[in-house]
Amino acid sequence: MLDLLFQFMSNTGYYLADYRHIIMIVVGFTFLYLGTAKKFEPLLLVPIGFGILVGNIPFFKGFGIGIYEPNSVLHYLYFGVTTGVYPSIVFLGLGAMTDFSSLLAQPKLMLLGAAAQMGIYFTLLGALFMGFLPKEAASIGIIGGADGPTSIFLTAKLAPHLIGPIAIAAYSYMALIPVIQPPIMKLLTTRQERLIRMSEPRDVSKKEKIIFPVVGVLLCCFLAPTALPLLGMLFLGNFLKECGVVDRLAKTAQSAVIDTATIFLGFTVGCSTQADVFLTPKSLGIFFLGSIAFSIATGSGVIFAKIMNLFLKEKINPLLGAAGVSAVPGSAREVHLMGLKEDPNNFLLMHGMACNSSGVIGSAVCAGILWSFFI
Amino acid sequence: MYGFENITANNGWAMAFVGATIVFLGLVVLTLVISQIHKILNLWEKRDELFARSKDKSRPGEAQTVAGPVYKQRRLPTVEELVSIYRPLVEQLKEPFDLVQLYEISNKMDLPHPNLSINRLREAQILIAQDDGTFTWGK
Repeated sequence: MLDLLFQFMSNTGYYLADYRHIIMIVVGFTFLYLGTAKKFEPLLLVPIGFGILVGNIPFFKGFGIGIYEPNSVLHYLYFGVTTGVYPSIVFLGLGAMTDFSSLLAQPKLMLLGAAAQMGIYFTLLGALFMGFLPKEAASIGIIGGADGPTSIFLTAKLAPHLIGPIAIAAYSYMALIPVIQPPIMKLLTTRQERLIRMSEPRDVSKKEKIIFPVVGVLLCCFLAPTALPLLGMLFLGNFLKECGVVDRLAKTAQSAVIDTATIFLGFTVGCSTQADVFLTPKSLGIFFLGSIAFSIATGSGVIFAKIMNLFLKEKINPLLGAAGVSAVPGSAREVHLMGLKEDPNNFLLMHGMACNSSGVIGSAVCAGILWSFFI
Repeated sequence: MYGFENITANNGWAMAFVGATIVFLGLVVLTLVISQIHKILNLWEKRDELFARSKDKSRPGEAQTVAGPVYKQRRLPTVEELVSIYRPLVEQLKEPFDLVQLYEISNKMDLPHPNLSINRLREAQILIAQDDGTFTWGK
């Protein structure tokens, strides 16, 4: 009987735990705290945080329990991450929730979304400089797009062993946008520039909103066919929303479908973030490069807006360049709040959403291009 | 391998330059195309009128009547009218709410000039800003 008891005790988490499990559990607690108490991107941080807790509970290997064991439940759920299924489904829901009318009314704001993607390529160079392999560097670079599903999608294809740290870095920095972006926006703009008011956008007809996803998917995916799993779903979701004849499908895509995918994506990514992958010098490098990526993406968008103003009669508020990153709607909200601080009647939210939407398209195109370099 | 050596050995400069150029040019083309969509749609909707005009031009010697544009007198809605339109929409939202949500509902209802209307409601202190960027409906 004592032998049975000792055998049971030696299989418990208490017996098998070491300091690395404790550190990762603390990381999981931190994410849960940021998500629940501070309300930093709770839809992302709560499932990821809880996943980190679950994934770092020690267990006896070989019995189909852990996420990396082939016949475990968590492994079957993780399939959606490793194959890129969950990011595609999230993009379907994102397209069904996105209103592109502010972008259609002011197409020149799409260029700010393009400019903000420069952060991806600078970070690619930075990662290579630090000694990462090319596929790893491309996966780290995509963090600069500020798009969690895109980062996970590309990393699953190019460097699946880095999904954990890259996903954690990408989502952490997305949650820290209120901390990262404002100082950069303030540093790169003058008060006069921040006071620029944007003109009222024109009304966009229903037909334009229906035509746009068709034109968008054809133009973008003919250029980068490898972006099809993401952009195809994004524009499908948007077409479901705008065509007006499949409201039931659109409502499901923007609620149950995206919520289910978000839960499983966040939870399984969290579970996969285990100490032996996360507590390494490489992860520190990834976190450092992630902060560089976000900062350069923000800065390049703002600077490009200032360059555009040299040629435009009707100036753009350069703060909008910071909304060219793909973090919807966090960065648009930050731009709007910064504009309001300078002038309480300067209403930048809708213009920021236009840049945000173009950032989503731009980062998915970048992911497709980077993947195609390695095919 | 580290540093610039690693970048050069792995074709990093070319990847960064070509990748950035492709994504930029791709979005420039998309921008140009979507900036023309509403003009093409306008032309398509006015195709009968244009066709009729070109037919008239090809018949010389006839007295042509030029149909001038019909201008409808436009009047901006008053704040009271905007309140009566937007109050039921706000009642669907829980206070405090994001202006994005109000904008989305007004778009769904196909209300004209939602940006301008919401701005006027803000200036008239009907929509009251809270400290965290959300809004409430002034009583």
